[in-house]
Amino acid sequence: MKRLNGDVLSGLVLAALGVYVIIEARGWNYMSEEGPGPGFFPLWYGIAMVVLSLALVLNAAMRPAAGAPVDWRCVGRALLAWACFAASVALMQPLGFLLALALLTLFVVAVMYGQPLKIAMAAAVGNAVVFHLLFVLALDLSLPVGPLGF
Amino acid sequence: MKLRSSIVLAACAAALAAAPAWAQFKPTKPVEFIVHTGPGGGADVLARFISQVFEKENLAPVRFQVSNRDGGGGLRAMAYVAEKKGDSHAIAVFTGNWLTNPLTRAEAKYTVKDMTPVVRLVLEPALIAVKADAPHKTLKDFIDEAKAKPKTLKQSGGSVTSRDNVVRQLLMKATGADWAYISFPGGGERIAALLGGHVNVMVIEPQEAGEHIKAGNMRVIAQVSDKRLPGFPNVPTIQEAGFNIPNVEQVRGIVMPSGVAPDVIAYYEDLFLRLTKTATWRKYLDDQQFQDGYMKSAELAKFFDSYTDQMRGILKEAGAKVVR
Amino acid sequence: MEALIGLGQGFAVALQPLNLFWCFVGVFLGTVIGVLPGLGPAATIAMLLPLTFNMPPTSAVIMLAGIYYGAKYGGSTTAILLNVPGESASVVTCLDGYQMARRGRGGAALGIAAISSFVAGTFGVIGLMLLAPPLAKFALTFSSPEYFALMSLGLAMVVLLAGASMIKALLAMLVGLWIASIGIDLFSDSARFTFGTTHLLDGVDFVVVAIGVFALGEVLGNMEKRGEGTLLPVPKGLRNLLPNREELKACRFAFVNGSVVGFIIGVLPGAGSTIASFISYGVEKAVSRHPEKFGTGVPEGVAAPEGANNSETGGAMVPLLTLGIPGSGTTAILLAAFILWGLRPGPLMIQDNPELFWGLVASMYVGNVMLLVLNLPLIPLFAQILKIREYLLYPIIFGISLVGVYTVSGSLFDCALLAIFGLLGYVMRRLDYPSAPLILGLVLGNLMERALRQSLMMSNGDLSILVSRPISATMLFLAVALLCLPLFRKVNSWRVKAIEENG
Repeated sequence: MKRLNGDVLSGLVLAALGVYVIIEARGWNYMSEEGPGPGFFPLWYGIAMVVLSLALVLNAAMRPAAGAPVDWRCVGRALLAWACFAASVALMQPLGFLLALALLTLFVVAVMYGQPLKIAMAAAVGNAVVFHLLFVLALDLSLPVGPLGF
Repeated sequence: MKLRSSIVLAACAAALAAAPAWAQFKPTKPVEFIVHTGPGGGADVLARFISQVFEKENLAPVRFQVSNRDGGGGLRAMAYVAEKKGDSHAIAVFTGNWLTNPLTRAEAKYTVKDMTPVVRLVLEPALIAVKADAPHKTLKDFIDEAKAKPKTLKQSGGSVTSRDNVVRQLLMKATGADWAYISFPGGGERIAALLGGHVNVMVIEPQEAGEHIKAGNMRVIAQVSDKRLPGFPNVPTIQEAGFNIPNVEQVRGIVMPSGVAPDVIAYYEDLFLRLTKTATWRKYLDDQQFQDGYMKSAELAKFFDSYTDQMRGILKEAGAKVVR
Repeated sequence: MEALIGLGQGFAVALQPLNLFWCFVGVFLGTVIGVLPGLGPAATIAMLLPLTFNMPPTSAVIMLAGIYYGAKYGGSTTAILLNVPGESASVVTCLDGYQMARRGRGGAALGIAAISSFVAGTFGVIGLMLLAPPLAKFALTFSSPEYFALMSLGLAMVVLLAGASMIKALLAMLVGLWIASIGIDLFSDSARFTFGTTHLLDGVDFVVVAIGVFALGEVLGNMEKRGEGTLLPVPKGLRNLLPNREELKACRFAFVNGSVVGFIIGVLPGAGSTIASFISYGVEKAVSRHPEKFGTGVPEGVAAPEGANNSETGGAMVPLLTLGIPGSGTTAILLAAFILWGLRPGPLMIQDNPELFWGLVASMYVGNVMLLVLNLPLIPLFAQILKIREYLLYPIIFGISLVGVYTVSGSLFDCALLAIFGLLGYVMRRLDYPSAPLILGLVLGNLMERALRQSLMMSNGDLSILVSRPISATMLFLAVALLCLPLFRKVNSWRVKAIEENG
């Protein structure tokens, strides 16, 4: 059975993006009375994108995949970390920046790195306090504020 | 970094000293001063200047904190203001873009109709300039050549909805002349294109042009203004030069969220009236070559309507896609 | 001669204790705030502008110039230590600077950045002083076709930024071009690729993409494995924290290259420091005897872009002070600040306000020295960041990335975009797509499209305008030559192989 090939897959995704760009660009003016229109430039790089990504796919399909197999455990860890980051962004609106950051810190330290809860709590609180002192008090930046006023 | 507490103290002292007896509303916490540009943009500099004057001259009991909501060509700041309905501690700088952009942007959720007009502050006149060694001595020279040799002359300017292009469209329509319009994102690049001889004409703000005219790099052939500017007594306005087109005004002023009480509006109207009476403000207007365009809330509301109608007509004629 | 007398007067102004003090304050605050990602020179100057309102104009201008310098330098610190580009121009610094830090030479990389900034910054001021009027004339001969050719040359640098696969580098660049065209089209006022949301009307901010792809991509990649120690080795002892003699020797040409390229590009209004840093990196790699080592942590890969970035400051002052034309966002803010004090930079400034002009020039010399004196001792301190344990450092990087992005626009939407670009950065890393070409395409895409369309508007659609002008023809030729370089190398290797097989 053929293993899923990253080059083929990413090539296909990029080809699809290229097709999308071309379709959108076709909907805009290519050349107007005043000069080239908004569709001019995207059409050309869209075409280049499709050509190059298909070249990548062919290239990869002809050559058998080399290199070490993907370690899905590693990828899983990275994706989990990303999911936490994304979740903390989503929580910035309801909870405020500092609380979201503290939760993110707590999760990374305690779950992803398996540190004792005491250390994780200290890290979370410490991180939030330092950010507050530095950015909000010292630099007077406005960060999203939660219902508790911080 | 900022000595917040001392400012608050100073502000309290000022409030005690100068509490006006007639006003029912007074801001009780820092006022958010919204601008649609990033730090350093035109509206941002104006807002920072105004809050500086408020502080220096003790005009207001609280701090005015500039809040940059840039993005979406002003639409984001407009949405931000409109969604603050009823908030009497938020004001925003509006410019002509706030009035014209919603006309061409289908994405716009709000217009200035969804806000409370407060005051109009300044009118920004403009000049029509050519390079000093250009053969065109008057606007008529330029138009004549553009008529004789269509599409050979060029103008540098901003986006197609900017005043630069509106003036061009009006002139082309009135005279049958035809010249190209080349957009540049920054004012500096527009001037560089003119001085480098790559384009033939541009609409320029007087303070941008001042030095170049004095240094003999540029010649002004007409003014985009109702009356001649003090700095250019010998240059005719477009209308005086014999071209009967409506004058396109560039405005700046203050709006705030809708749903605020009349005494709140009255407070800010008066606050800005006192601002316009300061010497610092007068000097600022002179330096920038702006005209005082102070106008109160009720008048401003009418102005919004007439301006929007005028722009809608002009943009339609210019071939822009008008969505509302 | 006139220049020397003027400069003498200038130093008399700049060396007044009060002005020296303000210059120091400017450089210091600029560095400190510039270290934070997202807060580049433009934002830093805008934030600190109110502090100068009560000063005499000369002191204020001197302080602002100090901030400008400091903030430009500060941006490289996080780029080198954490792979978080502090501002757009330090993206290139990430390429080799972070790799140096990974090899335990983080302190050395910071030192080289400081020294290169000093050398090139000083060169930029000398250039400003001696060549300002003629250079300003030269800058004006640049029209849209020349800018198009310059951007093409910049994009051709992708050849030099590519890793193993040229196709992947080109694809990354095309994606960059696509991201660049998101937003409102200046010429037609129509929205492109905005998916119907107002948040994308102004396009995707560069900082969001750079921090996402570089910093978050790197952190996510590192989090694949659960290491509990420190991220990077930090050698003990001051001596090991500063660049050694070989490293400095390797940078000899880079100092010159960065100085010259940065200055020339700085003079052109409408180019900017990011392009300067990319091009000087490309030049450095093109003439290097070991181009294959670039990207693995060579000191000249830090020296060239950092130098170009700081020399650009002097260059950008040329059109600002002699023509009143701001060439970049930062100089536009400086111009606005000048006008607030009633000063009019422009063709008459040297005549009308010699004290201010020469005071500023002299203070730029002084500022450069201060930057070096201030920053070399700080390096060991900054290098301590790397001693923080991994599990503590990553949340901190997450936090400063978020703050950096949020302060640029104050928009949570941009924070969400940051997460998306972080994922993209990680995927690109996994699949061996180089990230620098993506940034290159993003930075140059808009400028290039604009210049092309302006050119064709000027010529009524005639493409020959691009090649009929000598400067633009030369640069386009160079760009094509650069693009053909890999093909040439390939053919050459086949030929060598064929000869070997025959013999």
